[in-house]
Amino acid sequence: MAAQFLTLGNFYGIDSLFEFLVIIVASIISLYSYKVYRMLKNKNFKYFSIAFLFIAISFIFKILSNLTILHRVEITNLNSVIVITSQFEYMRLIQFASFIIYKTLYLLGALLLFFIATKTKKQNKIMFVYLSILVIILSIFMNFVFYLTLVFILTFLTSYYYENYKKNKLTNSFLVFLGFFLLSISQLVLIFSGFRPIVELTGDMLMLAGFLVLLINQIKIKRAAKK
Amino acid sequence: MNKKRNKLEMIRDMLLIIQKARKIRITPLIYKANLSSNSIKPYINDLLSKGLIEETLIDKTKYFVITPKGNEFIQEFNKIKIFAESYGLE
Repeated sequence: MAAQFLTLGNFYGIDSLFEFLVIIVASIISLYSYKVYRMLKNKNFKYFSIAFLFIAISFIFKILSNLTILHRVEITNLNSVIVITSQFEYMRLIQFASFIIYKTLYLLGALLLFFIATKTKKQNKIMFVYLSILVIILSIFMNFVFYLTLVFILTFLTSYYYENYKKNKLTNSFLVFLGFFLLSISQLVLIFSGFRPIVELTGDMLMLAGFLVLLINQIKIKRAAKK
Repeated sequence: MNKKRNKLEMIRDMLLIIQKARKIRITPLIYKANLSSNSIKPYINDLLSKGLIEETLIDKTKYFVITPKGNEFIQEFNKIKIFAESYGLE
């Protein structure tokens, strides 16, 4: 008996569900920042909105890269059943392309946040973009280069948000610091995702926790308006 | 208005003054905003360019009035301030 079916990749689609939630949170932050930009015409809010938009779109491609169409053939031979499962070639191509787009957009989003935090000058931006292109090319073949780069950028952002929290002592600033701290740890864990599937799931869970903390911050901001 | 105000708070304070007065000339605005005539100019230009206030001529006298976008900013101010401060976007 032969059958074709679509799967959501590893962990029965749990990772895709996590990533879907990340898309929602990143979109909420991006939309709100764009709303503020429209009101104040402050470019920081525009670039901040674009950064989270890149992150949201990157995770759409991450979900796409999880999708797999399998072709399964069952051969019954006397008392035993042999199952042969194969994946379509074109699906592998879609997965590969989606994963590259995911990496590119996620890195660009993180880099934009880095530029906003450091107020990087134009000449330095060109150098950073050049280095990022190199990293993207390297990370196509080496996942750890991608995750390691994110660890560096996110760790820097975590320390920036910690300094920001120390300066204004706001609960909201602490939540942003905590969110980015969890995101940094998640990428650190994901460096080792090739060793065991459970490591990948742990990294994804930490990443979701980081984005959920950022969501709590957005909810608190929304409630602040009513006070 | 003793505490040093950041840019967002300056915008909010000036908009509140204009909103309360409905229409206001530059001299009382300088006085009520607690600023000098030189330091108020960049703020007024900023508010005009952002479309938060507009100029209107009444009997050959120039007045500033708040726009609907300016009113929306006042309503959203708390949210914007916390959002900007939490991400260090000021």
